[in-house]
Amino acid sequence: MRPPAVILFGVLFGFVLSRARVTDYDTIAAMFRLGDFHLFGVIGSAIGTAALGLWLLRRAGNHTLLGRPVEIRPKPWHRGAIWGGLIFGAGWALSGACPGTSLVQAGEGKLVALFTVAGILAGTYLYGWFRSRFALPTITPRVQEVRP
Amino acid sequence: MYEIVFMRPWPWWAAGPALGLVVTLMAWMAGRALGVSTAYGSVCAVASRMSFFSATEYREGWRLWFVLGLPVGGLLAGLGSGTFVLTTAYGELDALTRGSLLAKAGVLFAGGLCVGWGARSAGGCPSGHSIVGIAQGARSSIVATVGFMAGGIAVFNLLYAVFGR
Repeated sequence: MRPPAVILFGVLFGFVLSRARVTDYDTIAAMFRLGDFHLFGVIGSAIGTAALGLWLLRRAGNHTLLGRPVEIRPKPWHRGAIWGGLIFGAGWALSGACPGTSLVQAGEGKLVALFTVAGILAGTYLYGWFRSRFALPTITPRVQEVRP
Repeated sequence: MYEIVFMRPWPWWAAGPALGLVVTLMAWMAGRALGVSTAYGSVCAVASRMSFFSATEYREGWRLWFVLGLPVGGLLAGLGSGTFVLTTAYGELDALTRGSLLAKAGVLFAGGLCVGWGARSAGGCPSGHSIVGIAQGARSSIVATVGFMAGGIAVFNLLYAVFGR
């Protein structure tokens, strides 16, 4: 599958996120207040379905429809997962959005989502600047062993 | 059918499996792990020569195509359900920011900064880590997701305790 064709999955993913109300601020707010099971159910059942799907794919030899290898590896462990996770959570609480849903919100016509998108770009750039400036090793190794 | 797909809000037991199915289809058909936040690094890689963004993951062409589809999906959902409208309204945050667009923009931009920094530091976001990562049983993804939730619950409730009402 050529890169431009992947847009199809972006459209599908964005459509489902929107229909699932993951892009709705008040739904995210209800999740953080622990007053609504909806989003926990969405995330939990998404994990379960993806786990089953990826497991079946591995069992079938990890080949794509066109016979190419499936390039999916578990993300390596690093301490950044702790602090990065918490900082991300703080941003999720402030903006009511994550990198994917902010873009979907923009498509839904929620204009203020563009401020979130601009912030995420700036935060990403700042992190890259910080890592480049202080010449720290990158957190994700470029080559990693494929798990059987 | 149209009613179920476009008009009624999807229950969690339909929406979650649908997201998992998109992940599986993308792996099976395109051979790629679905993830959004790295694409923001790809945008930086287009504009910057910094060493951090020279990593191969930021140079993969499919990522920008994928995220380009996200707003299109939101637009289709909005048009299909007849809810599409250009608006600066943003749910309960409107009340918290007392109707000030500037305050709302500030909160959202600050939130975005944390999301962008946090996602790169954690190595992913709720799509790549929480769904695809945990589906593979990756320790970093489980820890990052606990962080997303713990940080989110703490800061959200603090925000409304201090500025709400």
